[in-house]
Amino acid sequence: MKAARAGPSAPGSKQIPIAQDPNCLAGLSFVFTGELSSLSRDEAVELAKRYGGRVTGQPSSKTSYVVLGADAGPSKLKAIAKNNLKTLDEDGFLALIATRKEEEAIRQSAREMEAREKAASKAAAATAPGGAGGAGAAARTASENLLWTARYAPQSLKEICGNKGQVEKLQAWLGSWAANVRSEFKKPGKDGMNVFRAVMITGPPGIGKTTSAHLCAKLAGFTPVELNASDARSKKLVENSTNIMNTSLDGWMSGGQKTNAAGVTITDKSCLIMDEVDGMSAGDRGGVGALVALIKRTKIPIICIANDRGAQKLKPLVSATYNLTFRRPEVNMVRSRIMSILFKEGMKIPANVVDQLVQGAQADIRQVLNMLSTWRLANNTMDFDEGKNLVKMNEKYTVMTPFGVINKILGPGMFLPTTRETLGDKMEMYFHDPSFVPLFMQENYLKTQPSRIRNLDGPEKTLKHLELMDKAATSISDGDIVDSLIHGPNQYWSLMPLHAVCSTVRPASFLYGMGAGYGGPNAMSFPQWLGQNSKQSKLSRQLTDVQARMRLKVSGDKSEIRQSYIPSLFPHIVQPLMEQGASAVDETIEFMDEYFLTREDWDTIVELGVGDHNDAGVLKKISTATKTSFTRKYNSRDHPVAFHKAEALGKAPKKLAAAGPVPDLEEAFDVDDEVPEAEEDEKQETDDDPERDSLIKAPKKGKAAAGKGKAPAKAKKS
Amino acid sequence: MSLWVDKHRPRSLDQLHYHHALSARLKALAASGDFPHMLFYGPSGAGKKTRIAGTLLELFGKGVEKLKIDQRVFLTPTKRKLDVNIVQSNFHIEITPSEVGNYDRVVIQEILKEIAQTQQVDLSAKQKFKLVVIHEADSLTRDAQAALRRTMEKYMTNMRLILCANSTSKLIAPIRSRCLLMRVAAPSEEEMRAVLDYVGKREGFAIPDDTARLIAQDANGNVRKALLVLEALKMQNTDLSSSALSIAKPDWETYCHKVADMIIQEQSPARVMEVRAKLYELLSHCIPPSVVIKTIAEKVVDQVDDALKADIMHWAAIYEARMRVGNKKIFHLEAWVVKVMSLYKHFFLGFDMDAGFDDF
Repeated sequence: MKAARAGPSAPGSKQIPIAQDPNCLAGLSFVFTGELSSLSRDEAVELAKRYGGRVTGQPSSKTSYVVLGADAGPSKLKAIAKNNLKTLDEDGFLALIATRKEEEAIRQSAREMEAREKAASKAAAATAPGGAGGAGAAARTASENLLWTARYAPQSLKEICGNKGQVEKLQAWLGSWAANVRSEFKKPGKDGMNVFRAVMITGPPGIGKTTSAHLCAKLAGFTPVELNASDARSKKLVENSTNIMNTSLDGWMSGGQKTNAAGVTITDKSCLIMDEVDGMSAGDRGGVGALVALIKRTKIPIICIANDRGAQKLKPLVSATYNLTFRRPEVNMVRSRIMSILFKEGMKIPANVVDQLVQGAQADIRQVLNMLSTWRLANNTMDFDEGKNLVKMNEKYTVMTPFGVINKILGPGMFLPTTRETLGDKMEMYFHDPSFVPLFMQENYLKTQPSRIRNLDGPEKTLKHLELMDKAATSISDGDIVDSLIHGPNQYWSLMPLHAVCSTVRPASFLYGMGAGYGGPNAMSFPQWLGQNSKQSKLSRQLTDVQARMRLKVSGDKSEIRQSYIPSLFPHIVQPLMEQGASAVDETIEFMDEYFLTREDWDTIVELGVGDHNDAGVLKKISTATKTSFTRKYNSRDHPVAFHKAEALGKAPKKLAAAGPVPDLEEAFDVDDEVPEAEEDEKQETDDDPERDSLIKAPKKGKAAAGKGKAPAKAKKS
Repeated sequence: MSLWVDKHRPRSLDQLHYHHALSARLKALAASGDFPHMLFYGPSGAGKKTRIAGTLLELFGKGVEKLKIDQRVFLTPTKRKLDVNIVQSNFHIEITPSEVGNYDRVVIQEILKEIAQTQQVDLSAKQKFKLVVIHEADSLTRDAQAALRRTMEKYMTNMRLILCANSTSKLIAPIRSRCLLMRVAAPSEEEMRAVLDYVGKREGFAIPDDTARLIAQDANGNVRKALLVLEALKMQNTDLSSSALSIAKPDWETYCHKVADMIIQEQSPARVMEVRAKLYELLSHCIPPSVVIKTIAEKVVDQVDDALKADIMHWAAIYEARMRVGNKKIFHLEAWVVKVMSLYKHFFLGFDMDAGFDDF
């Protein structure tokens, strides 16, 4: 080794990798010789030492690697040849730092797992009453029998992939729980987390939310008590099954294991994990509300876990909890974990294939493990193509919303000459929602700037555009005819692919292009057809009523009433009110009585007007005073009645829908769930009071009470 | 003070102003005691129901004028409840099965059997049978019509049917062959004017010739419409002889004309969407789609070159037919609108569009 040297030829030209494992070079000895191009000798030595490597002056048989630079010393080269040593150039050395960590770490963690399993089986053998050998074998098979997801569930925080920050926060919060209780949740702490009595973890499935919660709780010395969607979580059970006041002496009194109503063990230091809170559904009536109330008073930490933070029914929870959002871990975070599991299982799958699997499963670790454990049954290796196929097989079919479908199929990409989508793929878009996609297509097909006429100009462009629109509209019209065959008396369901083509693919193939949904002036909108159709059927029903009443006087059918009579009645029963105001009321009512029309029918007649007679315009011209006097006078008199409606006599049990406000049970639950913070205490009292409970009332008093039953619920909400 | 059209409606066959031969035949049939099933057909406003009422009066006497309306609830096989309004007297019953759309078969089966299985209770009744009047018979579904076939023969002793339809084309042949067909044609202009004069005289004013002709032409054979228009005119102008008289169009017609103008003014995707909104407005306010397309097409044709007229009507006819087959009327209306726009623009810019219907 020379005392003085010329510096590196291109100092700093190469990036020095940052090894994630500080001891990635542990157990290796290095000899440097010659001039490296980017690192000086001192830097290189320091680097090797920093990562746990040993640096010696002269190569020997114990040297792991010789790092060769330019102008290497001849004696060293000789020694290399003699001892058959491995050599590295500068790049190789740097790559070693970057990559070696993983392999070593993988082996390391595989060893840990092995050790853990052995310990577990030993423990099992110790407790098992039978012979040591037999019990050990039994324990071994038990661990073999576990699913990979359970067998390789992380046992320490280090093993959790990704979301390090969130996990640390959670741990810190649990750690300071005792202090928080003492300070009555007044001191916010570093993250402002310490004022909360509960944490809500949200994130997509399979990224270790539940695992992290359990692990953190265990590590902080709590006993996790988990309630998930498989447990009934109604208000009662939530209240009874959780020892939230942390005051139960059950465990202490009985000495042994004591379980509560929900069958979970109670200890003096427990942590409640409410898993899958977004799965609290109709069966868990009042569950979310009760949970919020619980959180307000709890003396034990509560961790709620959900997939979708924005869900409507979680609204009350969001404000009561500290929100921790878990993200999908990066591929490289998952890779090493998977690799070590594979190593342990004796499977040889290259890193790039693992990456692909992880990516394909959208970082859903659970799914990757399940995929691999299935693969393991037949093979020990997997190449790139096999991996690709496996991912494809396990692809999660997400159902796109109609908005997504329509944006995609009318977008510029779907019909390009270079596109890979087959006709089948395009038809698949329709099958995401066969009842809605055609409606969306009809609503939005005119909103694009068609790619087909991009290169045209002037009148030619206009003409071509109209031509394309014509073809698309014709195809949509065809589609409707096919649809009427599918939904007609014979139900030709086999025509659905044809319907897909006519109603969706073909129109899109003419008019695809930029425009709607791509920042254009007219974004895709929800089909008007649904609203208009229900409006039509409502008005048509009302018109039937009007016709039925007028029937004794008038011979015309429904459409004659609409087309001839209503315009003729208008000057007699509506116009006077518009022009003369209240003075015309008597005259109007007399005229209506001639035709057995009621006040409601008057509304219908006004509502049925279009253009100049449109109801908004007409009603604006009638003063409120006139309207009130009209209604009052009408109600104060007796009127000839053509007939009574069936339900008015109580003859037939009419369907509820027509009887005004319907008791919407689903909504009633929600209203009940939304506990207003300020009225919390009051709510506690009222909930137990059956008289004030809208849900108990409804069945008792039947239809009449149902309408009322909703009112107090509404009042509570405001 | 009802509207004139209801006030001066003829009550008996003798009071009718036109189709005297038909009235005589109906009278004879009613007197013969061997009354057949009948099918009255003709355009609306020609007087079908007036004649049916007259015939009933001949058959049963004053009792048929005591009408009451009942609302009956029917249960479909799928447990859906249907409300049907039934107009009845002691001797007859009138139903409009098309009120319940696709479930009309249930109504037909239930009501007809019920009627047919009970005999006339009133011993003093003139006829032994009861009469069932089915309105809007041309909108009966195939199933309902098939349900009618056998009933018509089987229960002949207790029941007679009178069907009332606008056209026979939508009735299946077996039904037509079981009925005595009664065509009630629209009155001619002279006949119409006779009616108008009669009403004018009863109301105490004379209608000038020009005005009467104007009204008759506008009504296009629909007496109901003519009388309603007459009354509206009389309300607006006390003096019917003035030359500046114009007949007010009903709200929906004006609206349709507006749509037609929009189509002529501009041909663009944005315009199609505006038109679509207007069409929705018309349809949702219970204007039948076939009336919409007819009214708009007529107005469009008025404003375009002769060369285009035939084409526009041709497509209107095609899309009207498709509309009847299909479910969502607006799809076909819009397709027609786009077609017209395309045709118009091509003609306007001097290009010839060579698209046949299935030439893509």
